[in-house]
Amino acid sequence: MNCENIRDRLPECLAGRLGESARERLIEHLEGCSGCRGELAHLGIVWRGLEALKLEAEPDLAMKERFQATLAAFEAGLEQGRLAAVALPGPSRQVPRWAWQLAAGLAVLAIGLIAGRGLAPRPSVTPEIAQLQGQVESLHQLVALSLMQQQQSPASRIEGVSYAYSMTQPDPQVEEALLYAAGHDSNVNVRLSAVDALDKYAADPNVRRALAATLAAQDSPLAQVALIDLVVKSKDRDCAPALRRLASRPEADEAVRQRAQWAIDQLGIGVSR
Amino acid sequence: MVEDEQIMRQVRDGEVNRLEVLFDRHQRALLHYFLHLTGNRAASEDLVQEAFFRVLKYRRSYQTENTFRAWLFQIGRNAYLDHLGRRKNEVAWAAEAPEAASPDAAPDRLMEEKQETALLRQALAELPPEKREVLVMSRFLDLKYEEIAAALQCEVGTVKVRVYRALHELGDRFFALRGEPLS
Repeated sequence: MNCENIRDRLPECLAGRLGESARERLIEHLEGCSGCRGELAHLGIVWRGLEALKLEAEPDLAMKERFQATLAAFEAGLEQGRLAAVALPGPSRQVPRWAWQLAAGLAVLAIGLIAGRGLAPRPSVTPEIAQLQGQVESLHQLVALSLMQQQQSPASRIEGVSYAYSMTQPDPQVEEALLYAAGHDSNVNVRLSAVDALDKYAADPNVRRALAATLAAQDSPLAQVALIDLVVKSKDRDCAPALRRLASRPEADEAVRQRAQWAIDQLGIGVSR
Repeated sequence: MVEDEQIMRQVRDGEVNRLEVLFDRHQRALLHYFLHLTGNRAASEDLVQEAFFRVLKYRRSYQTENTFRAWLFQIGRNAYLDHLGRRKNEVAWAAEAPEAASPDAAPDRLMEEKQETALLRQALAELPPEKREVLVMSRFLDLKYEEIAAALQCEVGTVKVRVYRALHELGDRFFALRGEPLS
């Protein structure tokens, strides 16, 4: 074996991971090669020194509890999916009975409208259809608001966010609920979903102001990065002060600080006004 | 003890609650991996959650040719890269990493050890992220070369070369800081 091959194996030798025959070949080479012996000695000092840099940090109980909450939410979501797949659309355990009654009523109304109008071609949006769409939108709003309440499970809250996302018209109450979820939900996955859903509301000046406040108060680095990306995507220059504070805050996560600086560059708001 | 891979197969086949066993076994190593990369406890805890959430999400794609640990670190690494916005950033090293020294050492020897450790920490912090990462996996997390190769999606031979070069460069930087250049 040449010196190059031998040196690639020195870390394994220091870690005690070389097999017997490889170790014997290495020793044989080292006996006749002072260069590789010197390299092993130097690397050995560094390798042993690294022992002192091993971390002792232990995961705390909150980490396990967060994972258990996510797992429970995921299992609940799977179970809902199974139920939905087995039965034709029927009442989910997570959606209130009144919501399903309203949905059933709207379905009957839709069937009635279609049957009543016959099969003749007509304009794509009639007043009746527009009315029906408005009622479906109201249903989405009600279900979204109901599911996003904190007493619901994280899976239900994410489902509520999905309903909010599927709404075509902006709604102040849903906006407010999404902003609350993005800033304060106890589950980071719900926060991230809410940030995604706020994308379609980001043109609203009220939402922009609220996003700046949410970004400033956010304590989850993942949610902070998602909010920064949303700010950049929506070209929201109102968040400049919050971004500058975040980019220069020493206790903020390094990746978040860098992302904030990146956003400042992207938005061209580097100079304070 | 039931092997990780058998448990992960159960998770893949629908017994998702079995993932709790794997979380208990690997959360510490994953936390240390992220702590070494980010130097931030809150971000590292978030990333552990994100990595295990992705394990759930992509459970059906688990293949048994690699160990669960290799697959987990591959997923964790992707979560970290997403966390950075897939930008190759120089990430600050944790300045508050513990300093170990033999308890019965003489005071001057103790001081010397502390200084050496501080210099090595500085040298490691200055190492390019991809070199620091491969050393963290090999030296601190005790991952086998096959597992590192699976996590980094490269050949085992490449891992050998990378670990050696990373250690060599770390040595160069460390000895230079001590005022005695190696090469």
